[in-house]
Amino acid sequence: MIALVDCNSFYASCELVFRPDLQDRPVVVLSNNDGCIIAANKQAKALAHIPMFQPVFKIKKLLDDNNVVCFSSNYTLYSDMSRRVMDTLKIFSNVIEEYSIDESFLSLSHYNNDELDFIAHKIKDTIYKNTGIPVGVGIAETKSLSKMANKFAKKHLENNNVYVVSTEEKRKHLLQNSKVKDIWGVGKKHTIRIEKTGCKTALDFANMDVAWVRKQMTVIGERLWRELNNLPCLEMVTLAKSKKGIGTAKSFGYKLTDYGLIEEACSYYVSEIADLLRQQKSAAKQIQVFLTTNYYSELDKKYNNSIVVTLDSPTNSTIKLTQEALKALKQIYKPNFRYKKVGVNLLQLISEDQIQLNLFHTENKITGKRVSKVIDVLNSKFGKNKVKLATVGNREKQWALIKEQRSPRYTTQWNELMTISKNFK
Amino acid sequence: MDKNKTYYIKKSTKNYRAAQPTQTGFSSPATHYSEPRIDLNDELVKNASATFYVRVVDESFSDFGINEKDVLIIDKSLTPKNKQLIIANQDEAFKIIKIGTKIETEFHVWGVITYVIKHAL
Repeated sequence: MIALVDCNSFYASCELVFRPDLQDRPVVVLSNNDGCIIAANKQAKALAHIPMFQPVFKIKKLLDDNNVVCFSSNYTLYSDMSRRVMDTLKIFSNVIEEYSIDESFLSLSHYNNDELDFIAHKIKDTIYKNTGIPVGVGIAETKSLSKMANKFAKKHLENNNVYVVSTEEKRKHLLQNSKVKDIWGVGKKHTIRIEKTGCKTALDFANMDVAWVRKQMTVIGERLWRELNNLPCLEMVTLAKSKKGIGTAKSFGYKLTDYGLIEEACSYYVSEIADLLRQQKSAAKQIQVFLTTNYYSELDKKYNNSIVVTLDSPTNSTIKLTQEALKALKQIYKPNFRYKKVGVNLLQLISEDQIQLNLFHTENKITGKRVSKVIDVLNSKFGKNKVKLATVGNREKQWALIKEQRSPRYTTQWNELMTISKNFK
Repeated sequence: MDKNKTYYIKKSTKNYRAAQPTQTGFSSPATHYSEPRIDLNDELVKNASATFYVRVVDESFSDFGINEKDVLIIDKSLTPKNKQLIIANQDEAFKIIKIGTKIETEFHVWGVITYVIKHAL
């Protein structure tokens, strides 16, 4: 059997571990630059009249009027809390697929079926006790069913955040009470197509003729159909796949017109993603740079442009990638616009040791492997960006994004620990 | 396997192998006796994923011998036993409470204090 363990409103829950005083208030977490809401606790979700997906500046007054507590995103904290949850799960299984920052599949094949209800609650209680993060647990024969069981457990309060598909009746009950659109991996298009045939529930879909499913939804749909019928098709993936593209684009803290500052931000992003690229031992064949003004602003003139450069040979050198990115940036930059965001993507990634050099290539001392390696070693020892290219500059404060309401990094910074005193607030 | 207990999967144990000799002349007489140095993380933190640190910023808890600038090591995975100190969440604020003493108001256990790092300067 397979369990899906999923943290409830994860980012908001992380904040609340250290702020129990806010337990009963609506709490939301904002995206980078405090642009929009990316997580909300139960109390905040209950405020149905607030359009949560609107940019924050448009709903700021509504949030204030309803006494909503806003946090800027604190990914350092969330990533450490996620690590704690994932590590605690290792008590229960050594086959774990970390599916995302807040959910994991666990293989539970070493337990008897009659133990599973007990184990499901044990997982939930242990994670909550050890880390303070509330989770939901769905257990079933297949990944697709466990994912649905998890969703079902959270939706129907009487389940207490746990649903174990241990019998045929429970499987039918789950599917009967789930809509077609609730099936994991069925998008809008397929939902419409399936519902046209008269299917209303996930159970109707599971009872359909498999030939129709295969014809209309290809082998991927058939796999799903089989999974819902208790036939496992999706295996546990325990090794992370190398990413096929790496990118970053964060809004500036202020609107920028100065080319120099944009250039420095761009260099900074390149160094960040080049580091990731080397960590996964890949090299990029292409680099994309884009630049954009504020999409929402009615005052500013709008402009956005993007450019893709194919490198003469694949590389993961920060220096080489920065050179190319800045050349590209120069081509798309136009003066007199107030820019909001610059972004860099590395495309067509290949494995580092598959690099085919072109005919005229000579190993360059500066952009070669050794320099990058030395930089990486120094930075891992002395801290992020201690050694950087001069193009990154040191005016980060003038462009870096604003995190006005970021909570302390309680678990990773010695001088930001949680504090306790008589007048704690 | 006892169902009510949780078990950790054993990680590889420490490397106790003697270090490569660095003396160029005589080999060290301590070759077979060297051990890794004490690591406070191993000694004070039994369950890293459930361990949190909290700093005390005033003298409110001096009755417990806990003073300003001390740092508490807290293990959330433990169930508090009699006479142990815990961090509790009471009336929407964090407090230090000694288990077994009479407490009027309801509280929730946040974690058990395992060690207090005293600020001695």
